[in-house]
Amino acid sequence: MKHLLKKIAMLAVAGGIAASAQASPEADREAFQNFYKNRFASVPMEEYPNGVYSIDPVGRENWEAIEEFPPYEPFIDEGQAMWEKPFANGKTYKDCFADGPAIAGIYPLWDKKNGMVITLPLALNKCREANGEKPLKYKKGSINDILSYIAYESRGQKTNVIIPKDDPRALAAYEKGKKFYYTRRGQLNFSCANCHLQNAGMNIRADRLGPALGHTTHFPVYRSKWGTVGTLHRRVTGCNKQVRAKPFKAQGEQYRNLEYFLTYMSNGLELNGPGARK
Amino acid sequence: MQNKMIGYVMILAMLLFGGLSTVQAADGAKATNPEAAKVEKMIADADKARKKAASVEGEWRDVGKMLKKAKAALAKGDYKTAKKLAAKAKSQGEMGYKQAVAQKDLKMPSYLKY
Ligand code: HEC
Repeated sequence: MKHLLKKIAMLAVAGGIAASAQASPEADREAFQNFYKNRFASVPMEEYPNGVYSIDPVGRENWEAIEEFPPYEPFIDEGQAMWEKPFANGKTYKDCFADGPAIAGIYPLWDKKNGMVITLPLALNKCREANGEKPLKYKKGSINDILSYIAYESRGQKTNVIIPKDDPRALAAYEKGKKFYYTRRGQLNFSCANCHLQNAGMNIRADRLGPALGHTTHFPVYRSKWGTVGTLHRRVTGCNKQVRAKPFKAQGEQYRNLEYFLTYMSNGLELNGPGARK
Repeated sequence: MQNKMIGYVMILAMLLFGGLSTVQAADGAKATNPEAAKVEKMIADADKARKKAASVEGEWRDVGKMLKKAKAALAKGDYKTAKKLAAKAKSQGEMGYKQAVAQKDLKMPSYLKY
């Protein structure tokens, strides 16, 4: 199998046509991580959770100064208060998440019963709704508080996305996310991979393009541009708009599957949220 | 290779549609009520193209906005602007659809080594 894939890849290079997409998730992840190992040979694997600052020394200096007084700290405190405050029915988040608050490491996960990818924000809202509370918005606002707290408490856990073998729909969801990642979109005709793989390390206007490896380890993220903390799906929305593609719904199927694929690519990397970025 | 081709087709299409819309816009300047119906039809067609692109996850960012603006221009009787926007929206709808369909089968990029 591996031989065959190698052959296909070689043929593809020779003919200028890319290999077709039949590889296993593990083969995908290896190829993905190896790509960066080759391009940024001096960057150790455990640096990638630091995003673009793993490859941009100037940006990094600025970032290290910011991290001395982390701008996301107040959000962690707010989130802790949220976590501890009982719902109107007297229950708390802890009743939904017995292992909480350090639960970020198990998401996104495949929910066999509902046949869908469950992300942490979605799970939090399911908990709220089951307890008669209004769901939180998925891009801006207080969902970022509780996510900040959970991310902080989960620091040090390892990314470990599981694609259960006993449900082919899980692999299908992963494949959809992968397809999304490599599909060119929008008037500018860019895929995620065009920027974050092919051109990683290059500059686009005033920005250095960061590697996609580690892209999921540190959310939610405080962005100076936003002046606040925002979710992964908010960030992806921005990246879709940037190429003049219509973004998809936060926590809709497309972005959840995308998150499933993208997080899988970072399997083995440490969680280090919340993060701070430009 | 294929992507490059799509790129060329898009540029061509942009030039073509850009050209067309100016011609139509010039006609629209001396428009009366039947003209309004024509513009309305153009907007409806463009919205169809938008929806078709969306059905394959290929909708571009500004098509919806263009159509909103086209409708507003139509309501004000500014047929020239409305036509121009509708034509642009339609062509972007069609290009978004073509772009997505051309990539129906995922091809992994050759810089990833398996
Ligand atoms: C036109 C280039 C471009 C495209 C296409 C693009 N991005 Fe980005 N993206 C950027 C830039 C620039 C940044 C900020 C610098 C960085 O961290 O790479 C960024 C940042 C990000 C971040 C935040 C990184 C962090 O460390 O916090 C994520 C996540 C992300 N992009 C995901 C995606 C996904 C998913 C797609 C496809 C839907 C995508 N991007 C498409 C340019 C792009």
